[in-house]
Amino acid sequence: MTLAAPLANLAQWALLLAVAPLLRGLIQRAKARAQNRRGASLFRPYAELAKLLRKQDLVPDTASAVFRAAPVVSLAAMLVAAALVPVLWPAALLAGGGDFLVLVGLLALARFALLLGAWDGGSAFGGMGASREAMVSALAEAPLLLGLVAVAILAGSGSLAGMAQWTLGQTLVHFSPVYALAATALGLVAIAEAGRIPVDNPATHLELTMIHEAMVLEYSGPSLALLELAAAVKLSLLLALLAAVFFPWGMAPAPTPARLALALLLFLLKLAAGAVAIALIESTLAKLRMYQVPAYLGLASALALLAVACTALIR
Amino acid sequence: MIAANPWMAAALAAFLLALLLLPLLAGLADRRSRLRVAPAALLVLALLAGGALAARVLWTGAPAALDLSAWAPMAEAAPFAFTLTLDRLSAFFLLLLCAVGAPVALYAQAYLERHYAGWRRAALWALLPLFLLSMALVLAASTGFAFFFGWELMTLLSAAAMLLDGDSPERRHNTYIYLVMMHAAAACVLAAFLLFLSRAPSLDFAVMRVAGPAMPLALRNAVFVLALLGFGAKAGLIPLHLWLPKAHPIAPAPMSALMSGVMLKTAVYGMVRFSFDLLGGGPSGWGYALVAAGAASGVLGVLYALGENDLKRLLAYSSIENLGIIFMALGAALVLQAHHAPVWAALALLAALLHSLNHALYKSLLFLGAGAVGDAAHSVELSQLGGLQRRMPITGGLVLVGCLAIVGLPLTNGFVGEWLAFRGFIAGAGAGAPVLPLLAGVLALISGLAAACFANVYGAGFLGRPRSPAAGAAEEAPRAMRAGMAALAAACLLVGIAPGFLLRPLGATVAALLPGAGLLPGAGLVPAPATALAAMLPSLALAVALAAAAALALRAWRSGGVRRTATWGCGQPLMTPRMQYSAAAFTEPLRTVFAPVYRADHQLESQPDGQAWYPTAVNYRSARTTSFERSFYRPAVQAVVNAAARLGRLQTGNVQMYLASIFLALIALLMIMRLA
Repeated sequence: MTLAAPLANLAQWALLLAVAPLLRGLIQRAKARAQNRRGASLFRPYAELAKLLRKQDLVPDTASAVFRAAPVVSLAAMLVAAALVPVLWPAALLAGGGDFLVLVGLLALARFALLLGAWDGGSAFGGMGASREAMVSALAEAPLLLGLVAVAILAGSGSLAGMAQWTLGQTLVHFSPVYALAATALGLVAIAEAGRIPVDNPATHLELTMIHEAMVLEYSGPSLALLELAAAVKLSLLLALLAAVFFPWGMAPAPTPARLALALLLFLLKLAAGAVAIALIESTLAKLRMYQVPAYLGLASALALLAVACTALIR
Repeated sequence: MIAANPWMAAALAAFLLALLLLPLLAGLADRRSRLRVAPAALLVLALLAGGALAARVLWTGAPAALDLSAWAPMAEAAPFAFTLTLDRLSAFFLLLLCAVGAPVALYAQAYLERHYAGWRRAALWALLPLFLLSMALVLAASTGFAFFFGWELMTLLSAAAMLLDGDSPERRHNTYIYLVMMHAAAACVLAAFLLFLSRAPSLDFAVMRVAGPAMPLALRNAVFVLALLGFGAKAGLIPLHLWLPKAHPIAPAPMSALMSGVMLKTAVYGMVRFSFDLLGGGPSGWGYALVAAGAASGVLGVLYALGENDLKRLLAYSSIENLGIIFMALGAALVLQAHHAPVWAALALLAALLHSLNHALYKSLLFLGAGAVGDAAHSVELSQLGGLQRRMPITGGLVLVGCLAIVGLPLTNGFVGEWLAFRGFIAGAGAGAPVLPLLAGVLALISGLAAACFANVYGAGFLGRPRSPAAGAAEEAPRAMRAGMAALAAACLLVGIAPGFLLRPLGATVAALLPGAGLLPGAGLVPAPATALAAMLPSLALAVALAAAAALALRAWRSGGVRRTATWGCGQPLMTPRMQYSAAAFTEPLRTVFAPVYRADHQLESQPDGQAWYPTAVNYRSARTTSFERSFYRPAVQAVVNAAARLGRLQTGNVQMYLASIFLALIALLMIMRLA
């Protein structure tokens, strides 16, 4: 037990990082299948990262040190944020006071670094992407936080591990209006935060529509690799967060190898389900017009507000 | 009363006396010799000593008291008690004053020398210590008279600083509005004090503290509302904020820093002193009133800041936002106290106090940064800046710390304060106040918008390419200015990474204000979540540092090197700075989403007329009077003017008429006295 717990925590943190590119590959493949294509290998994102890491880094001659620092800060914040999320069993590498507010803060730190990096490129694209990202994230922060607040109030714990533990101990909790509302709100926000359709299209490079891609347009080589990895970790982290808080079934009650193996299998299945869901959404829905995104996030905020309000009724 | 240590009293007296006498040396600042740094050096020393005194009181809890009644102005004519007492609450705010004041004085040494000469420089060096003295009086006062004396002095001295910076009709108008609103606010504060007199024999805080909780509820309500109006106006709460974005930007940079950083906090101090100490808490309705005022100020303040182009005015609006957050936390503390949850009330009050300190640190840092930018680039308009990080890397880096802190990102002090506030709001769910958790959403919205706002400030101001020749030729700020800003930035990071050392004295301060907070079994003086956060932050800092090192190593691992090259311009060979995104364009999406808040008057003229699609020249003008000015202040002022015009009819110039009206008034007064 003494060594098993930290090892299990370390393992689930490494797992979250390791599967991040695979998740992207899975979404790509599922999208290809939904569109009657064969699609590329599941492992292509790894190869892309390796390729980018070998390339030369092109830096605009007018950029300051911030341009080079932004990808590092962005990735670092994601790596630490990943250490707050329980994956295989209800505990996390960074325990103690590390709660959902710290997680939201780290996501904000990564985003702020990215906004500044985009500004520093000195082209219109960076500013445009940053401007749109600023709008989306400013409006997404409230529903993200409120959704987690609703669960935290029910669970009586601010840490994500505590929330997972609480959900594990409940039966029929998913019929509670708080859970339904909070899960829907957080699902909507996760899509916006990860920059997926219908909020942003990760596959486009058309200036009228791109958000995230416009921000990183000026980046190349290893710096771009860091940003791509950070984005991949963010997506897998958000899915792991939803899984841990709302669907923690199969998490190991104690860090024994057999239970951890089962939890790993179930986690990969949940991740795959998430990937297929994203692929189906992206294949069937069109991207929203920019000024419809606030309405989308407003819906998420309203649901999250209702979730928090419902906690008072249930009590 | 408390037996105070005579040495502490002497130290307090020496500190105040030093601030009082320093203006005598102001003339030295204008000399050519080395002595010209004397006023700044002595002021920094005095403030450091004052800070040490305040820290001692804050850490040990032993108060320092000083009775100046004998020397008070008009001591013979009107025997008002004029005593000063530093208890923990006063000491905390005095520490805040010194922590901000010393770096600002250091900065001012170089800044005032570059900008002002002759009598203006000397006058500013006289005003600076006096302004600090007036605020110290407000914070240390323990009688109504002493408090009010400092309060009025503070208003007048800051107005003098605004007028010293130049002269124009607009400046006079702004100063006038400042004075009018501050005096209206002072009238409310004075009335709040005087209402105590019906139940308390004197306006000594120790007496008021006993009388306050025993007063009838209607009287207590009246005192609270007057205090909220008076201190709310001083804090710039919307809709009483009109003066703030007019007054703060027109003062010299060190003065703006002190006004935003410290002077606004005297309003927080007053509010805490009145509602928690003198009145001893109240019904939850008081808390909700504060919460509503704070939430409105927070959201509207940051939205107005987002729409600003002038950096100093943007910072002024952002002060409204931050004061809104502080008042939300204060309100939550009152609500939680009314719901008999003193431990959670302590957490919320802790958040309010810590956020006051945080805002003082980073806002004064940013105002000083704005001063350095104005110095170097000859403009504080975001549309004229850009590329300053390369031209002035140290100033830029320090301003970046300020921006990270004001956004509330982890590992800065802003995060700690907002974290505590979030936890305080969420605690409402368990304490029977289910409205409070919804405030977490409001605070999240505010901080999301603040992130957009300050990404714009730093991005448009310091990154990319310079948008004006002056910005392109900007030079790094002088050493004293950098040192002042560096001290503030270091404090921001220190509180952000290791806030533990502050929590215990602050917890004791809060516990003294909330009966029952420190007495619950196992609660200790510091609320448990705060202790847990303080224990976690250093390891979080370490984790982020390790992760950053890993990311750096990954990037360098097999990298093919770094090449500097032109920004991609879609194949266009020539990229001009104007092809970058502008600050106004950056905020356009959010301004569109929140368009009803702005109600801007756009004017788009294209020439020649009638050819909207193929113009030869386009003129765009966007003027913004805040909707409050249009729909709240102007009608109110108009009503006052109309009433005055009507009353003017009494002014016939006929002496008999005047005598008759005096006679009638006398009879009316006698009848009222008789009936009462």
